[in-house]
Amino acid sequence: MALPNPAADKVPAGYKYGWHDPEMKPLHVMKKGLSREVVEEISRIKGEPQWMTDLRLKAYRHFEARPMPTWGGDMSQIDFQDIFYYVTATDKAVQSWDDVPDYIRRTYDKLGIPEAEKKYLAGVGGQYDSEVVYHNIRADLEKLGVIFLGTDEALQKYPEIFKEHFGTVIPPNDNKLAALNTAVWSGGSFIYVPKGVHVELPLQAYFRINTENMGQFERTLIIADEGSSVHYVEGCTAPAYTTASLHSAVVEIIVKKGARVRYTTIQNWSHNVYNLVTKRAVAYEDAVMEWVDGNLGSHLTMKYPSIYLLGERAHGEVLSIAFAGSDQHQDAGGKVIHAAPNTTSLITSKSISQGTGRTSYRGLVKVYPGCHGSKSTVRCDALILSDEARSDTYPYMEIDEEDVTIGHEATVSKVGSEQLFYLMSRGMSEAEASAMIVNGFIEPIVKELPMEYAVEMNRLIQLQMEGAVG
Amino acid sequence: MSVQAAAALDAATVDLISRGEPAWLEALRADWWRRVEAEPWPSSAMEEWRRTSLDDLPRDGALLLDAPIASYDLDPALAQRGVIFTDLATAVRDHGDLVRAHLGTRETLPAQMPFWARSLAAWTGGTFLYVPAGVAVDGPLVARTSLPAGSYTYLPHSLVILEEDASVTLLEEVTSPDGEEVWFGGTADLQVGYGATLHYANLQRLGDAVWRIGAQRVEVGQDANVVTLNAEIGSLVSKVGMDVRMTGKGGTSRLLGLLAAGDAQKVDFNTCQDLLASHATSDLLYLSALYDESHAAFYGVTRVRPEAKQTSSYQECRNLLLSPKAGAEPIPVLEIETNDILRCGHGATAGAIDPVQRFYAQSRGLSADAAERMIVRGFFERVVAQFDSEPIKARILDALAPRIGQVDEVAA
Repeated sequence: MALPNPAADKVPAGYKYGWHDPEMKPLHVMKKGLSREVVEEISRIKGEPQWMTDLRLKAYRHFEARPMPTWGGDMSQIDFQDIFYYVTATDKAVQSWDDVPDYIRRTYDKLGIPEAEKKYLAGVGGQYDSEVVYHNIRADLEKLGVIFLGTDEALQKYPEIFKEHFGTVIPPNDNKLAALNTAVWSGGSFIYVPKGVHVELPLQAYFRINTENMGQFERTLIIADEGSSVHYVEGCTAPAYTTASLHSAVVEIIVKKGARVRYTTIQNWSHNVYNLVTKRAVAYEDAVMEWVDGNLGSHLTMKYPSIYLLGERAHGEVLSIAFAGSDQHQDAGGKVIHAAPNTTSLITSKSISQGTGRTSYRGLVKVYPGCHGSKSTVRCDALILSDEARSDTYPYMEIDEEDVTIGHEATVSKVGSEQLFYLMSRGMSEAEASAMIVNGFIEPIVKELPMEYAVEMNRLIQLQMEGAVG
Repeated sequence: MSVQAAAALDAATVDLISRGEPAWLEALRADWWRRVEAEPWPSSAMEEWRRTSLDDLPRDGALLLDAPIASYDLDPALAQRGVIFTDLATAVRDHGDLVRAHLGTRETLPAQMPFWARSLAAWTGGTFLYVPAGVAVDGPLVARTSLPAGSYTYLPHSLVILEEDASVTLLEEVTSPDGEEVWFGGTADLQVGYGATLHYANLQRLGDAVWRIGAQRVEVGQDANVVTLNAEIGSLVSKVGMDVRMTGKGGTSRLLGLLAAGDAQKVDFNTCQDLLASHATSDLLYLSALYDESHAAFYGVTRVRPEAKQTSSYQECRNLLLSPKAGAEPIPVLEIETNDILRCGHGATAGAIDPVQRFYAQSRGLSADAAERMIVRGFFERVVAQFDSEPIKARILDALAPRIGQVDEVAA
């Protein structure tokens, strides 16, 4: 099957692994901007079935009809007609290492990221030496009947299961940006875990042979069948550079009876990106859904991973961490909808703002009538590191059932001078001391990350802090 | 008492009210009426109006022109020392310059502006309290208003001025008969000067068909100390906006709220604790007990401005759900624009009575009903205990009794 890749001509010279299909069609260059024709063309290039073309067009009409949201961050600077909807979907707008800004390159160097990975993250490299690892994981999973593919590939290979679930958690008309994603989506991951199968190793998008996994409009669909479990990890702590101004992904997760899914994502977009993402999971009877969501980069992020607890005793957790430096606004949080009795949820948010940065926690806990025995705890802590930084907390609660226990608590604080004094009296510099305090602050979330991410996260915070103090 | 005179709420009526009033007041009312015409009617697009719809607000009732008689008892000795405690119209007549210096000089939160402006344009009643510098009033002052029967719109405005180092405790209480569709749009403007202390209680016992759409604005001066207590007991719909501005260095405010709702009552508070000066402290505690199909919404913002260093603030909103059909939407919001804060946070909860508490009370021989009454009473005790006036505490607990039951019966 031919999977055309529009970025093919941007693969660096000397690249030796090649694409799946050597007979790749020539690159389709699409003009800037969005129109019905662009949407149809994307679908045609991908060779999609008619139902998907129709769905894209329906979504495009919703996108056209809906006004821009006026809440949250400032989105007035986004010009939808000034964006490449397909070419940029592969994040290859940067063509040369020389075009990557210095601050991104310096960060890579300080983090000690290997050359090939640097180029990949900066969008100038294609695949690199992870194929062996990838193949091993892949073979292992296939034995278990697990499907782990790029979303485009999955649509071709598994059309029935794909059609049954796609767009059911986040319908095309859910919100303006989800409609946009549905109209022009490209790339992303598709995971299906069969009944009773436990995937022991975290699945990482990082290892997947799919050039589109860092796309602008990626679409991820995860289905965990009854009694199964899987941990999916996406993104990385190192900054990902793109010249594109808008990233608008949709992630849909279906956690069937007794299944368990954890979705970990750490995103660190370069500071010019609007990161507007819709993530939602549905959890049925006795299922467990966990979002671990880290937001470090971007100009503006608006992302509220949500969980609909649809079956009795389902449990949902959102662990959210946000770091906003100067000229950044992280508007993040979590939503849990209790739509069945005896469901439980926990939202923990830690945010840090520095320089002129702004972090906002925005969340919702809703309990429908009849959902007796439901329990929810929301805990938000914010650390403000500079005099000009800002922190907001907007925790919405709608409780329509008596027999529940719902609580929310939030604190806002700064790095205490006594804490600093103590650490500095032990010989630390102010920057080191502050970084240690911040690392302690985010520890409850970092300890949930896979080891390599946790290490990188701590190092990254330290780097950020070096710029913050003095 | 019946409705004395009435007219539609429009520019002509505002003009009619102004007849015989001083020219400055006529101009002031006209200014505010222009503001009414400029302000958009609230829509659900506004955050503060998402949870209460005004579609069924009885807007057709005529404006109550003759204010209901309210009682204002003041010790002559205090009057001698310059304390003024009367209705606003009388104050305009007897102390025109003083009223003129303070009345209608301030705006409030955008969400409440349509009602603030209406009340300032078309007030026909309301309390006026003035405490001169250095005067301490012992014992509470009580302004009690009993609304007449009939369907009408009544938009009183109360103005409270405390000069430097003054101190006073004031209870405003309003009652009205059940079954009467009334739009009660009372507003209050509390201006508390340097080092002054105000304890202000508002006891709302309106009839079961009344729409109360209120606004309170509190300005807390340097080193001033303000405690407000809103006890919401009556009315069908109660929507109150509280605009608390900590404009003076070292000012302190404690905002207490207590609501006991039942039947199909809807209560919706939106508060704003705006910390504009350094070393200010503002704490809020709102507790609701919700019976039957009642519903309580709370949307409260704490805003710490960049220039407000070393401030402390806390918001706490707790909802006790006492029926399967009761509901609550507590939303405490923080907007913090500086890192130089001493303390800042909030907490919100909603849920049924803790079964362990209930079990304990019943294991001591109380019936299920009596146990619930005692627990609800204990729940409210936290708020009531913080208001430093025995007669007002007693009055409020008394007013709560029809809803939460007599706790004395428990003891007996």
